[in-house]
Parts: sequence; structure tokens; C-alpha cells
Amino acid sequence: MESELIIKNLHANIEGKPILRGVDLVVKKGEVHALMGPNGSGKSTLANVVMGNPKYEVTDGEIWFKGENILEYSPDRRARMRLFLAFQYPMSIPGVSVANFLRRSLEAVREGNKPLEEGDNPSGKMAKRKSIPPGEFRKLMQEKMRLLKVDNSFINRSINDGFSGGEKKRAEILQMALLEPEIALMDETDSGLDIDALKIVSESVNALRGPNLGILLITHYQRMLNYITPDFVHVMFDGRIVKSGGPELAFELEEKGYEWLKPSDEQNGVMVNG
Amino acid sequence: MANTFPVGFSRSAVEELSRLKSEPAWMLEKRLHAWDSYERMPAPLGRRGDLGTLRIFSNFKFQQLTPYMPASAGDTLPASIAQSLKEALVDQRSGLIVQENASVLRTELSEELKNKGVILTDLDSAVRDYPELVQQYFMTTCIPVESSKYTALHAAFWSGGVFLHIPKGVDIEDPILTQIWLSAPASGLFAHTLIIAEELSSVRYVEEHNSAFEGEQPSLFSSVVEVHVKNAAHVEFSNMQDFGQNVWTITNKNAVHEKDGSTTWVLADLGSHAMLSTIGVGLLGNGSAGELVGVFFTDHDQRYSINTLSDHAAISTNAETLVKGVLTDESRVEFDGMIRVRPKAQQTASFLSDHTLLLSDACRAESIPGLEIGANEVSASHGATTGKIDEEQLFYLMVRGIEREEAERIIVQGFFEPVLQRIPLENLRSRLRRSIVRRMSKGYEGALDTSWIDAQERWEVEGVDEYAISLNSPAEEEEIQLAEY
Repeated sequence: MESELIIKNLHANIEGKPILRGVDLVVKKGEVHALMGPNGSGKSTLANVVMGNPKYEVTDGEIWFKGENILEYSPDRRARMRLFLAFQYPMSIPGVSVANFLRRSLEAVREGNKPLEEGDNPSGKMAKRKSIPPGEFRKLMQEKMRLLKVDNSFINRSINDGFSGGEKKRAEILQMALLEPEIALMDETDSGLDIDALKIVSESVNALRGPNLGILLITHYQRMLNYITPDFVHVMFDGRIVKSGGPELAFELEEKGYEWLKPSDEQNGVMVNG
Repeated sequence: MANTFPVGFSRSAVEELSRLKSEPAWMLEKRLHAWDSYERMPAPLGRRGDLGTLRIFSNFKFQQLTPYMPASAGDTLPASIAQSLKEALVDQRSGLIVQENASVLRTELSEELKNKGVILTDLDSAVRDYPELVQQYFMTTCIPVESSKYTALHAAFWSGGVFLHIPKGVDIEDPILTQIWLSAPASGLFAHTLIIAEELSSVRYVEEHNSAFEGEQPSLFSSVVEVHVKNAAHVEFSNMQDFGQNVWTITNKNAVHEKDGSTTWVLADLGSHAMLSTIGVGLLGNGSAGELVGVFFTDHDQRYSINTLSDHAAISTNAETLVKGVLTDESRVEFDGMIRVRPKAQQTASFLSDHTLLLSDACRAESIPGLEIGANEVSASHGATTGKIDEEQLFYLMVRGIEREEAERIIVQGFFEPVLQRIPLENLRSRLRRSIVRRMSKGYEGALDTSWIDAQERWEVEGVDEYAISLNSPAEEEEIQLAEY
């Protein structure tokens, strides 16, 4: 089965307020898509809805991944299908060590997407988890940390607890490297980073880039795209993708801003997604 | 050995109990006086509109209990008690008392401590062997008989119990352990602990409360713990309560301090159908200090009322109260934490915090921190939070492939960790951690998965999780650095 993420006519609300108003998007393995757009256009909402954040209510449309409609799947099951989200604001969880959490997470993701048994809950509950031998985990961890040039001290701290903005973002990418997703959504990974941190994070993403990984890079600014060249660029406005194109579109946006893409009222009804 | 003691509390039952124990007249007199107070005093009912725990206690059918229930087993320990003892502080304890129902079955104290003049015995024997000390300290200044209707009942019917006297300057580093077992339905167990730590002495003391009996007929556990801390002495008192759901618990604990004395209370409450717990720190001497670290976890329809008092009555005293609890199912917990600074208590520092996490829609928690400040040179603060698990934290863990139930468990463990790390005894900390996981795993199939806890413990003890990355392996360190430049 092709590792495709297919989003069809997706509509979603938060607290009754519509945010996504018909998003169509296909992300394949090996491709890097940039999703741009002004604040409040629905970019982060899209990432959260694709991962199944219960805060949002999907009112119409479909999300397909690897040939399955995942709309009813719990977030953990989506993750175990190797869908990944690098959070814009990673949560801190005091009292839980990063290493312990990541080992657990890796064990879970390696179990994969178990078929539902009769009467089972929609989480696709795992029967029995195979534990990862400490030596193997340590080796893997060192390999990824070396690849991303991450200092190994943070691994023994509580999850994101007391991390600086840059450390949190790098920790997200380390998790991404470790869990080897097939499609990764990266939500404003560049926000809150100074130029040096942005360079490091971008290099990390480039290091992970390859034929086995599809990336949807959500960003407000063009600056991260100076370091990561996308294959496709999409612009989101008012809960829809209003324009799609190649990497040159990002530069056009840098010059002209977003206003020229704002759909007028009469356009609204007939807008066709790129 | 059949118990022929009559059912129900009465003046004649008090007389019968004292006669069975062949007690001196002064103790009988004290018991009878307490009985009169019990009959005269009203049961506490709480405030209108509270969660009703005190009213539930006032309706408890005391008269269906047998006031005196000796141990069933004779001299040998029942298997469940023996097993529990194996888990508890096997290697590192310096003394032991095992009480089953109203009888103390075993008393041990290391030769070294005996030679230093430490006295560890059951309270019945102390009444006989050390009458002056018992008369001076037993329910007089620390927890007076008439503190409440329930302490009066306790004074009338106490049995077994612990008497610990630490002479001047003696340090007891390896803990003294008391195990109290309730193994009979429809009985009252009135366990009393009296600790006197003389000048410049110190002790670590642990009490564990468990039950092993079947059936719906509830038993009552009534406990009074009195700690007298003399000049510059230190007492560390840990208590783990894990009774079955057919036990009702009423406990009163208080420590009174002379100059520069200090106490650490560590309280872990998991069991009992209903619990009424009052813990005090009486800072009567200049420069004295008290610390209270509390953890609870309630489920089913458990009802707790927890009341703490930091009583500052002298100059330059410190108190810190830190309570963390988790509620689930239909359980209810009332927490009432009071900081009292009396007019003479200048240069007081007192801090109280109470945090509860609600895991179900039907559970309820009520937290009432209180401040009574009579002095003007005071630094006092309190804080309380009650809330559900943060959905965003949960989502974060689930997006990393972890199922909801496990994600909740991880967050709850993280919530408790800062308090658990304040528990000085590693053995207690470790067992408590496992009890919490067991509770969170309720309804799960299969055996308890402890690999998470094991890793977590390595992380806490060594600051390093061996699963993570070897920080003390220089070769690999160098490799990383080489790659970096």
C-alpha cells in the first residue's frame, strides 16, 4: 500500500466555530510540502485534526492514510500507523523522563496498526507489547542524537520540562528521527527560534529527508524555506487551500505577502483547490 | 481461641477490658473518665454543604462492633502478614512490632539499641513497666482525651500499641517498623503509638496498616499517634495505610516540639472505605519545625476527610505541608489545611499546598486551606489546585503512539513524583509507586507491567536512565563530539 496521506473536502469546527472549510491535500512519501498562510487560516488546526485531537469536531470530509479511512481512529493508533506530528507548542510533562517515554513510544509505534478485534475499542488496542532491549534502544538513541547533533543531557530530564523554545523543537525532531514516521506534520517548527537554532533545526529536517518520509511543513514565514526546499507549496486562507505551486510560490509570497490571495466574496463559492 | 468479649461499647465493657489486662487502677480510671467524655460529647458533623464525611461517621454503627478482639493466630504469624513483612524493610530495620487486632504478636529491637537504653515495647507492657512515663505522656498534652468524641472512645478502649522511648543523644538510623493488621470483621482495633524522643535524639519510624478479612461487616480502625519531640530532637514518622474497603479509619496524629525540635510526617493513604484523618504539628518551642508530606489515591466510593494543622506558638518556627492526591470512580475527599500563627509566634514561616487530580466525572474533591495569623512578622502562604488531567498533555502522549489508559497512568505518576521524591525511605517510596500503578491498572488484563517503574526509579536514583544513553562511557562521548565538529 502506498504511504499516502489523502485529505478530502475536510471540514472541522472548534467549539462550534468552523475553522476548516473544505481542505483537499495529498502528501506522498518522499515529498516535502510547505503549507503557508496567515495566522488563523487553519494550518495548525489541519495538523491537529489529521492527528485526531479531540478538541476539534470533523463535520465533513475524509482523511485516508495507507488506504484506510483513519477518521475514527484514536490519535495513538494514527501514530502507530507512522503518522507523526511535531508540535508547535510541545507539552511539558513533569516527573516523566524523556528516555523512558521515548522507549515506550518506540515500542508502541513498532507494534504498528493492529486490526480491530470483535468488540474492541477504536484505539486498535495492542494485545501485548514487545519490549525493546536496553542495549538496542541506547544504540538507536545515540545514532539519532549524533545525526541531529543533539546534546545528550536533555534525555535524562522530564519531558520538555524547563526546556528552552529551541530545545523543545529539537526534541520534537529527535522524536521524529527515532520513531521513523512515513508522513510527518511539522507545525510551525520554525517559530520562536533564533537564526542559529533555525539553521540547526533545518539541517536536522534535511538530514531526515528521503524517499521513506513525506513531510508537511507548516510555516507562517518563508525563512525556513531558505534552508529546506519544498517540492510543493500550498497557501491556506480561511480554512481552504487557495493556491498551490512549486518552491517559487514561496518567494512570491515573501515579496507580495498574503493579501493578494485573499478570496473575494464572489470567488468564495467557486474556488478550486490547486 | 474463641473471643468471648461482648459486642458493643459500654462502661462495663471498659471495666471488663481493663480487668482482662490486669491494669493498675490509674489506667482503669483514665479509661472510665474517657468513656464518660465519649458519652457526653457530640459527634462532629462538619459544615453544612460539605461532602458529608463526618456525618457518615456519625451514622456508623459503633454498637455492632466488638471492642476487644485478640489475635486469632496465637504465636505464629498468619501467612499474609509474614509475606508482607518480607517486603517491608527486611534488611535495614532496627526494630519491629507486629500487632494483629488487639494483640501485639512480636516485638524486636536490635541489641545495640537496647544497650543504648532505647525502649521499644507494646503499650500494655509499658503501663506495667514504665507507669510514670505513660502517666505523664499518654493522652495528656499531645492529644488530650477530649480532643474529640472519637479520641475519647479511643482512650477508653485502646489495646496493644507501641511505646518507644529514645534516650538523650541516641540516633536511630535504621527504621523501626510497626505492622498493624486487622483480620476480623465487626471489630474495633484501637492502636495507640506513643513516641518520646529525648533531647538531641533522632529516630526513623514506619507504621504500616493493612487488613486481611472478607465480608461486608465493617471493622473500625482507631489510631492515636502521639510524638513528643524534645530539645533539638528529630522524628521522621512514615505511615502507609492500605486497608480493605471494609475498614473504617479514624486517626489522630500530633507531634509537639520543644526548642529546635523537628518532625517529618510522611503519610500515604490508599485504603479504607472511609477515613477521618487529623494530623498536627505543634510548634511550641522556639526554632522548632515540622514537615508534612502526604499522598492519597481513592477509588470506588471511598470517603476521606483529611485535616492538617500547623500550629505556630513560638518564635522562629517553620512548617511545610505538601499534599498530593488522585481521585477516581465515585470517591470523595475533603481536605482542610490550617496554618495557625499565635500572637507570640514572630518570625514564622509556614507554607501549605494541596493538589488533587480528578480522573472521573463522579469523584469530588473539596479543599479548604485556612490561615489564622495572630503575629505580624510572618511569612505564610497556601495554595490549592483541583483539576482533571490536562487533555493537551494526554493528546501529546497519544500522538506518540501511547494508548489513552497508559498515557493517563504516565501523567498520574509524573504528578505524584515530586512528592514521592520527598519520601526519605526508598523501600516505602518504591512500594507506594507500585501501589499507584496497580490502582491505575485496575481492570487491565494480565500481570503488572513494572518495566516503566523500574526505568523511572533508575532515573530518579541515579539521575540516569540506563535505557537512554550511557553518559559515563567516554569512548562514545568522544565519538559524538567528533561528529559535531
